[in-house]
Amino acid sequence: MAKARALDKRRKSIRNIRKITRTMELIATARFKKAMDRALAATAYTQRITDVVRSLARSGLKVQHPLLDPRPEVRHAKVLVLTANRGLCGGYNGGVLRLAFARIAELPGQLRTDLETAKKADSANVRVSVEVSGKRGIAGFKFRHVEVDERFTQFEDQPKFADVDAIASRFLNQYALGELDRLDVVYTRFASSSKQIATVETILPLASVGGDGADDRDGPNRAAVDYEFLPSAESILEEVVPTSFKVKLFKCFLDAAVSEQIARMVAMKSATENASDIIKMLSRTYNRARQSQITNEIMEVIGGAEALNG
Amino acid sequence: MAEIRCIVVTPERTALETTSDFVAIPLCDGELGILPGRAPLIGRLGFGELRLRSGNQVTRYYLDGGFVQVVGDTVTLLTERAVPAGDVNAESAHDQLRHALQRPIATREQESIRDRLVAQARAQIRVSGGDH
Repeated sequence: MAKARALDKRRKSIRNIRKITRTMELIATARFKKAMDRALAATAYTQRITDVVRSLARSGLKVQHPLLDPRPEVRHAKVLVLTANRGLCGGYNGGVLRLAFARIAELPGQLRTDLETAKKADSANVRVSVEVSGKRGIAGFKFRHVEVDERFTQFEDQPKFADVDAIASRFLNQYALGELDRLDVVYTRFASSSKQIATVETILPLASVGGDGADDRDGPNRAAVDYEFLPSAESILEEVVPTSFKVKLFKCFLDAAVSEQIARMVAMKSATENASDIIKMLSRTYNRARQSQITNEIMEVIGGAEALNG
Repeated sequence: MAEIRCIVVTPERTALETTSDFVAIPLCDGELGILPGRAPLIGRLGFGELRLRSGNQVTRYYLDGGFVQVVGDTVTLLTERAVPAGDVNAESAHDQLRHALQRPIATREQESIRDRLVAQARAQIRVSGGDH
């Protein structure tokens, strides 16, 4: 009897776990929807910024800004790592951390060789600082004994622009003051709802203003508008570039949030399926154990009766 | 009478979409009033107050920098933050102003950062009606 009862107990506990994972999957699905809506709402802003940039470019202005030019000497690099606050989301955090550690390990050497090939003095004097968002990432860095300068845990499934703006403004100020020469972001890019890729992107200095590859899709009816620029096209450009940096960083946070929910959804779905499989298997073993027990008991009864008759 | 369609977009969402008779927008070097039929325009916003008038009703918002695009009778405002004037927190603005004024201004970059923070704080205080 003991074996059958143990199996039954296990089956019950797995059933409970399945209930939990199933609920988590549903929660992740709901959050994914919300995060996705938010990301879509943000694209309206990005598109219009791109529109402004395109109009500026059409007016014959040369797009030039300190944020767009690579620094001649890169001494202070920063790596911003975006991870989740919670686990149970498959390879989401692991993928980002693996990339981050690789980048942090190779960056100082790379900067040094760059300085040496450019024949700059004092090429040993480089510094790579790390900032991490998400409890999982913070724990990962602690485990690896990598020093972290700033930690953020306020970003959940719906990152607020005000929070990102505070960080972005700090980076911009540091960049302007020469305390920062390069910024890399490690995050999970949302390619489509079935594909998210952990990526490293250098967003300071900015590679381009506005959206990627969104240029020149305007029809003939839109090209005709001749804008007046107030106070001047240069002044607007001066403002557009920092804004597009902020928007880019915000998009990284949004992408990371959406990808996290998808990763959790997928992980919990497979956990639920796995639990169902285990329950099926346990049920089979349990039934077999119970049946053999019954058979055993019948044999005993028959054996007893035979003995009496004999 | 023609009306102006006014759209305020922040990075998070479309904060406002409405029509009105007259729109006053805070450009970085002063206010600009827009009536229907304005020539196409792209402008740089400063920190300040957006006023929308339809009939006798005036709605006021605080805008936190950004851009304005006017095409036809549509005014699109791209800003990082749009807050109804009544919800502007004057206290935190005063705090920001105090801290900003204590920042060092040894270099041009430091000065421009400080100027920006000071202008932002002062505009918030003004819009919230704190200095009346």
